[in-house]
Amino acid sequence: MATEQGVVGRVFGDRDDVMLTLLDNMIWPILAVVLLGVLVFVPQTFRSVQLILWGAVPIGLLVLAESLCLLSGHFDLSIGSIAGFSAMFTGMILGTCPSCWALTTSPWVGFAVILLVGSLIGLANGVMIAKVGLNPFLQTLAFLIIFEGAKTAMQTQPVTGLPSLYTQVGGTPRFAIGLMLVAFLITGLVLRYTSFGQAVYALGSSEHSAREVGIDTERLIIVIYTVSGVLSAIAGLMLTGFVGVVPPLIGEGLVFQAFAGAVIGGISLFGGRGKITGALGGVILIQVVQSALNNSQAIGATQIQMINGIVLLVAILLYSTQTKLRARILASGAV
Amino acid sequence: MSAEHEAATEQRHADSADAEAGEPPKLQAENLTKQFGRIVAVDDVSLEIRPAEVFALVGDNGAGKSTLMNMLSGVHEPTKGQIYKDGQPVNFSNPADARATGIETVYQDLALMDDLDIATNIFMGQFPRNGVGPLRFIDWDETYERAEQIMMEQLGRDVDIKTEVEFLSGGQRQLVAIGRALAFDPDVIILDEPTSALSVDATRLVQDTIEKLADQGITIVIVSHNIESVLKLADRIGVLFRGSLVNIKQPEETDLEELNELMTTGTLESKSMDE
Repeated sequence: MATEQGVVGRVFGDRDDVMLTLLDNMIWPILAVVLLGVLVFVPQTFRSVQLILWGAVPIGLLVLAESLCLLSGHFDLSIGSIAGFSAMFTGMILGTCPSCWALTTSPWVGFAVILLVGSLIGLANGVMIAKVGLNPFLQTLAFLIIFEGAKTAMQTQPVTGLPSLYTQVGGTPRFAIGLMLVAFLITGLVLRYTSFGQAVYALGSSEHSAREVGIDTERLIIVIYTVSGVLSAIAGLMLTGFVGVVPPLIGEGLVFQAFAGAVIGGISLFGGRGKITGALGGVILIQVVQSALNNSQAIGATQIQMINGIVLLVAILLYSTQTKLRARILASGAV
Repeated sequence: MSAEHEAATEQRHADSADAEAGEPPKLQAENLTKQFGRIVAVDDVSLEIRPAEVFALVGDNGAGKSTLMNMLSGVHEPTKGQIYKDGQPVNFSNPADARATGIETVYQDLALMDDLDIATNIFMGQFPRNGVGPLRFIDWDETYERAEQIMMEQLGRDVDIKTEVEFLSGGQRQLVAIGRALAFDPDVIILDEPTSALSVDATRLVQDTIEKLADQGITIVIVSHNIESVLKLADRIGVLFRGSLVNIKQPEETDLEELNELMTTGTLESKSMDE
C-alpha cells in the first residue's frame, strides 16, 4: 500500500505497509508453514510432488469456479454436484458397463456433452438468480441436492469402459496440471485486464453501484454462473480421468474444500476482494493437507472428512481475523 | 472565498451574461411534465441553464426536484415537454443518451464500489485500453495516470489514486464520484444533494470543487435542499414547489428566509403583506 501526503490519502507507517501486504498475501506464509510442518511430520507426503499437483487439478478447477462466484459477491454450492452429475451423465452415454446407455464411443462427443451439461446447469443457476431473483444460497443448495440425487438415480455403480482419449485428458498428469495452470492464468488475466473482470469485482463490491455505473449486472451474473458450471464440468472430466472410471460418489463433498481453498487463498466471502494467485495458493495448501492426511499413520480414512471440516473452520477464522486486522490498520491510517 | 476565486466567479457571471445574449442555453427545459399514474411530479416546468453557470434547483421533499433532475439526466422520460441541449432538441430514454450529449450525473448515493481503489472507481466501465482488434486490454498505467490527472488538475486534490474508496471521508467520496463524471469529459454535471450528510469541512471541500469546475467552464446543476450551501455556490436558484417552478432568484437578491418561504408555500405572501 502506497503512502500519501495529500488531502485524500492515508499515511501509513512502514510497519503498517508490511502488515497490509502480509494480510493481502496471507496464503503464502501460511502455505510455507504448512509445507514445513508436513515435511517434518509426514515427509512421505512429498514422495511425488507431481502426484500432489495432479490430485489438486479437480479441486483447483472447483476453487476457480467458486472464487469467480465469491468475487462477484455470490457463491455456488452446486459446483461439486455439477462436476459429479455432468461426469456421470456423460459417462452413461460413453460407458460400456451393463447398465450404461452406451450411445456413442466418440470421446469428442463426450467432451462436448460434459461441457454442455455443465454450462446449461450453470446457466440455469444464473437465470434463476439474476432474472427470477432467487437467493444464491437457496438456488445453488437446491441444485446441489437435485443433481446429486439425479446422479444417484442414474447410476449407483462405477461407470467403466470409457473411451481412452476421454479419460486421458484427466489421466495424463502433466496435461491435467498444465490445463489447471492455464485455467488459473487465463482467469487471472481476464479478471485483471478486461472490463468483464473488473465488472466482476464491481458487482462483488456493490451490485447497486455496479448497475448505476452502467454494468448489466443481470447478464454478468448469468455469465459468471455459466462459467462456474463449465469449470465444474471440466473438474468432473478431470476427476473421471484421475480414477479412469466414473465412481458413484464423484464430486460429493468437494464444494466445502473448494470454499476452504478460495477463502484461505484470500478471496473475500463478501465479494469484491481477492486475487486468483492467492486462490491457487489455497488449492496447493488444501491438496497438501489432503495428501498429508492420506499418508499419515495417525489419521484414519474415516477421520479425513472431519479434518476437512476443521480446515474449513480454520479458513473462515483466518479470513475473519484478516478482515478485522485490515480494517483496523486502514482505519488508524486514514486521514 | 479568496480574492482570486471571487474574480473568477465575477468573470464567470460576466461570461454567463454574455452567453445569455448570444449563445443558446446550455440546457433548456420547455414545458416539462412528468406524471406517475395520476400523480403529477413535475408540472409544466420551463427553465434555461446558461453555459458555465452554477444553477441550483431547490425544493422541499416531494417538490419534484429529483424527478426534474432524472428527466435531465435521462433516468425518466418526460410525459410532456422537450429538453434542449445547446439549442438542439434532445430525447433521452436512458442515462447513456444524456451522457452521449455531454451530461453527467452524480447521484446522491455516489454509486461507488468501496472495495476498489479511486482510479478503478473513476474508470469503471470505460477503462483506457490498448491492443489490437478484439484483443484490447485495460491499460492500467494510463488508467492510473489519467485518474491522477483528473484528481490533481481538474479537482486540485493531491491523492493516492490507489486508495480504496472504503477508507475515504464523505467529502473525498463525493470528489471521486465527481472525478468519475469528469472522466467522460462532460460540459454539464448534475449533482444530486452534493453536500447532504457532510461535515462542515467536507462541505467546504465539495463547494470549492464545484466552484473550480464552474471556473473551468463546466455547467453545474445542483439539486439540493441545503439552501445555505446553495446561496454560497449558485449563480441562480430555481425554486420548485409541488412540481412547479415558482421562482428563479439570484443569491444577491434573496436570502435564506425568503427561499425557505418559497420552498414551503410556493409564494412570498408574508413579504408582500409586510410591505
